[in-house]
Amino acid sequence: MAFEKTLKSPVTTNVLRPPGAVNELLFPSKCIRCGRCVEVCPYGSIRPLDIHAGIFTGTPLIHVTDIPCYLCMKCVEVCPTGTLRPITQQETKMGLAVINKHACITWNGELALCRTCYNICPFKETAIKLDELRPVVIDKYCTGCGLCVHGCQVTQENGKKAINVEPIYAYRRRAIANE
Amino acid sequence: MGLSRREFIKRTAALTAASYAGLSLPISNEDYSAHASDADSWHKGTCRLCGSGCRLELEVKNGKAVALRGIPQSRTNMGYLCMKGMLFYKLMGNNHPERLKKPLYRARKDQPFREISWDRALDIASKEFAKTVKKYGNNSVAYYGSGQAFTEETYIFQKVMRGGLKTNNVEGNPRLCMASAVGGYVTSFGADEPIGSYSNFERASCFFIIGSNTAEAHPVLFRRIMRRKMDNKDTVKVINADPRVSPTSRIADLHLQFAPGTDLALLNAMAYVILEDKLYNEDFLKNYADFRMGKKKKKVSLQKYMAFIKDYTPEKVARICGGNITADKIRKAALWFAKSEGTMSLWTMGINQRSRGVWANNLIHNLHILTGQLCRPGADSFSLTGQPNACGGVREGGGLCHILPAHRLVKKNKLRHQVERLWGIPEGRIPPKPGYHTMAMFEAVNEGKIKAIWINCTSPAQSLPNCDKYRKGMRREDVFIVVSDIFPTKTTELANLILPTAFIFEKTGVYGCTERRSQLTVKAVNAPGEAKPEVWMVREWALRLSKELNDPVIKKCVEPFMGKEPDYELPKAIWEEYTQKLTKGRDNDLSGATYEVLEKLPDGVQWPAPTKQWALKGGTDIKFVRGLDPLADKYAKNDLPYQFYGPAHPDRKLWIWLRPQKGPAEMPDSKYPFYLSTGRIIDHWHTSSMTGRIIELMRANPYAYVEVNPKDAERLGIKPGDMIEVVSRRGRNILPAKVYVGPCEGMVFVYWHDEDENRMINRVTKDAFDPGSKEPEFKICACRIKRVSGPRPLKPFLVHMKA
Ligand code: SF4
Ligand code: SF4
Ligand code: SF4
Ligand code: SF4
Repeated sequence: MAFEKTLKSPVTTNVLRPPGAVNELLFPSKCIRCGRCVEVCPYGSIRPLDIHAGIFTGTPLIHVTDIPCYLCMKCVEVCPTGTLRPITQQETKMGLAVINKHACITWNGELALCRTCYNICPFKETAIKLDELRPVVIDKYCTGCGLCVHGCQVTQENGKKAINVEPIYAYRRRAIANE
Repeated sequence: MGLSRREFIKRTAALTAASYAGLSLPISNEDYSAHASDADSWHKGTCRLCGSGCRLELEVKNGKAVALRGIPQSRTNMGYLCMKGMLFYKLMGNNHPERLKKPLYRARKDQPFREISWDRALDIASKEFAKTVKKYGNNSVAYYGSGQAFTEETYIFQKVMRGGLKTNNVEGNPRLCMASAVGGYVTSFGADEPIGSYSNFERASCFFIIGSNTAEAHPVLFRRIMRRKMDNKDTVKVINADPRVSPTSRIADLHLQFAPGTDLALLNAMAYVILEDKLYNEDFLKNYADFRMGKKKKKVSLQKYMAFIKDYTPEKVARICGGNITADKIRKAALWFAKSEGTMSLWTMGINQRSRGVWANNLIHNLHILTGQLCRPGADSFSLTGQPNACGGVREGGGLCHILPAHRLVKKNKLRHQVERLWGIPEGRIPPKPGYHTMAMFEAVNEGKIKAIWINCTSPAQSLPNCDKYRKGMRREDVFIVVSDIFPTKTTELANLILPTAFIFEKTGVYGCTERRSQLTVKAVNAPGEAKPEVWMVREWALRLSKELNDPVIKKCVEPFMGKEPDYELPKAIWEEYTQKLTKGRDNDLSGATYEVLEKLPDGVQWPAPTKQWALKGGTDIKFVRGLDPLADKYAKNDLPYQFYGPAHPDRKLWIWLRPQKGPAEMPDSKYPFYLSTGRIIDHWHTSSMTGRIIELMRANPYAYVEVNPKDAERLGIKPGDMIEVVSRRGRNILPAKVYVGPCEGMVFVYWHDEDENRMINRVTKDAFDPGSKEPEFKICACRIKRVSGPRPLKPFLVHMKA
């Protein structure tokens, strides 16, 4: 059990690598735990994993429900090893925002109007649109920055929001958009 | 499958402290989910966070407000609410720890506040006002109120000021938002307020939305418009005219993006097309319309109007308007407008907050009069109101310096004496001269001409344009400022005396929304600490003033309200006097809309409602139409179906005005090359002293930002999140950038809710105002922008009471 835990990637729903991250299988061996990305992030979005994280100890993570990524792209510029590759805002694919239509108060017909996720998205009208006032994510353009998750008005009992970023690209060969 | 309400509430409550890392919010530790499945009771009321007038019910459990839900039978919202409406119970009773609970006083503004008793607070307020009146005369005192105060509150305040203190220095923040609409309705139709109702949303086949981001500012109304459009995709057209692409534009078939300040030309060009293509309604014009021009309201002929409009060819105007405007687009818009079965125009501050706001209003009405797009189903020239009670309380209740209750002008001797008679006070008691309008009032504070002012339920220190200039005056030690409110604001920071007031649902009163609809909210929970309803404060204050000034007439003003318990009986008595005496026989006759009637209905009553019987049916849906409006039948002078009996046009005609294009007061130039415009966002209300304290709403929009067009951003090397300095001739802000195809090129947009000194955009806006309505031009001024740094972590900011 303990062994499994030390090998299990911490990346999961709303818990993501910073922009430009290499495949999660390579991440722990490529990242030298220099902490530069942690230091440079003006928003304090990136936290290094603590000592209990096995082989992932010291690697950077973003909990978007706490502080999302504002896509300033500073971290990718300072990473000395290319673990975070120098990509642009638009190329970022930390994950994909997925709306839980049962939890979202606009989708589930609660007679309430909310579109916080839409308003707050840095790519409003591109990455997220309104379909008759209900939000829909456009997977091609969503960067997984998590701003929508952070702003979402609904927190479910399991701690998830009504919109959540799923790290679906973490194990792709190259987790960069449009490739 | 959907979430139950209760689950939703639980979920919002489940937001953990951890999820606020990085946000220093005043978080209440109350556990909102801690309630069993049954409510003790549900109480009907009205939402207080915009002018839509959504009806809702408050759930009360063990004396505590625990939830809000929409009322499906309500004709305004049909059960829908936006997040503001869902969540503001979190500010009620003891739910929020920061509510003002005790009167606070300091003799000098550089001293800290001390808690004092109500007895002492009222003594101080009356002594200071009495002293000022004795020393500097009656016009050295003033009342500055709000479109969020109940009608009963505005009414009693203005009665004591005018009848008691003999001054017309009675103003309110609707001067900043609705005054141009009032001016437009009165000069074009002869009567204030829209002819039709929201019911036209479901009947209109063309929407002309200009200068309104309905989707954000009136979200629940926008849902109805969107539904109408989506259910009739091909037959219902939506035209949106706005220099900024907003969420409202998303449903538009045609977006007219004109350069700021060219709206009058655009509207005249549409009239040009209507005349040229003979799209006007000859019968309607013959029966109901007249042409007027100039200050003297000179009557002119159709030919003269045609000659005037000749100057506004679509080709020429397209050049003036810039943006994406082409002559074809103008022609198309005019054609759709004129030809549809029913065209409904909608506008708010984009039109009203202009240095020629009244003219802009007139020009929209012109299009409706020319085409006869009025009075029939779906055809309406409909100004949306920003605040929940700007119409009911301030426009109808006599809350501006030049108007008395029930649409009476101060300067009309007959009407003024009528009011004096109805109040039972000596003739000549109300001065014949209007008082200071808002901008002049705060200028007078600057100049030390006003020495004592009572500011109720609003925060001019943040909401006035060019606010630094006026904050200077408010800081003067020789100006005594009383502020009554529920939370600390930028204005309580400048007060001598802070009076804690009861919030909605903690007191009883009526709100009158955009569509002439009056709706009652009855007290359901107790106010926190010693917070009191304003009506009680004013009555007690007036009694003391009467003693101080040895003037029995002041007492006479509140005599009918003596001995009434303040939570229900007192506002009821005030409403009775206002409706039964003051509105009876006037165009906003509300004498049928008693508390008993209002309590019976799920929503409320639309005036004219001269009888209880009529009021119980909901009142008047469309004004001026015989058979639909009891007053149209009563005042009919001929057999025509429409009777425009409004008090301002004795000729009973609708007036088409000759109004030329006029640019903004300040145009961009080489030093300040950008247009700056300001506005709202769905999750916040005004100065965010309330919505900023609702965690979910503050999280969604923790601070203001500046929207920059991507082309300008590229040119200036601005990336999303970069810190941008926005500077005008008056002040500066530093805000994060949002690069977004919203504002047109050469224009930036900032929302005005943020209380942080660096992000308070009214420090930058200009205080030029419309010479007619005296409403300031918040929507346009010149600025320059500069990138000052990359992204910086920002914290939300709220004014807190210093201990
Ligand atoms: S892109 Fe900027 S905000 Fe996002 S994690 Fe990197 S440094 Fe932080
Ligand atoms: S949809 Fe959400 S995660 Fe995707 S880009 Fe927009 S804010 Fe970021
Ligand atoms: S913010 Fe959350 S609740 Fe609101 S519309 Fe988006 S997903 Fe739904
Ligand atoms: S639309 Fe306006 S009135 Fe309706 S719930 Fe929202 S804030 Fe309240």
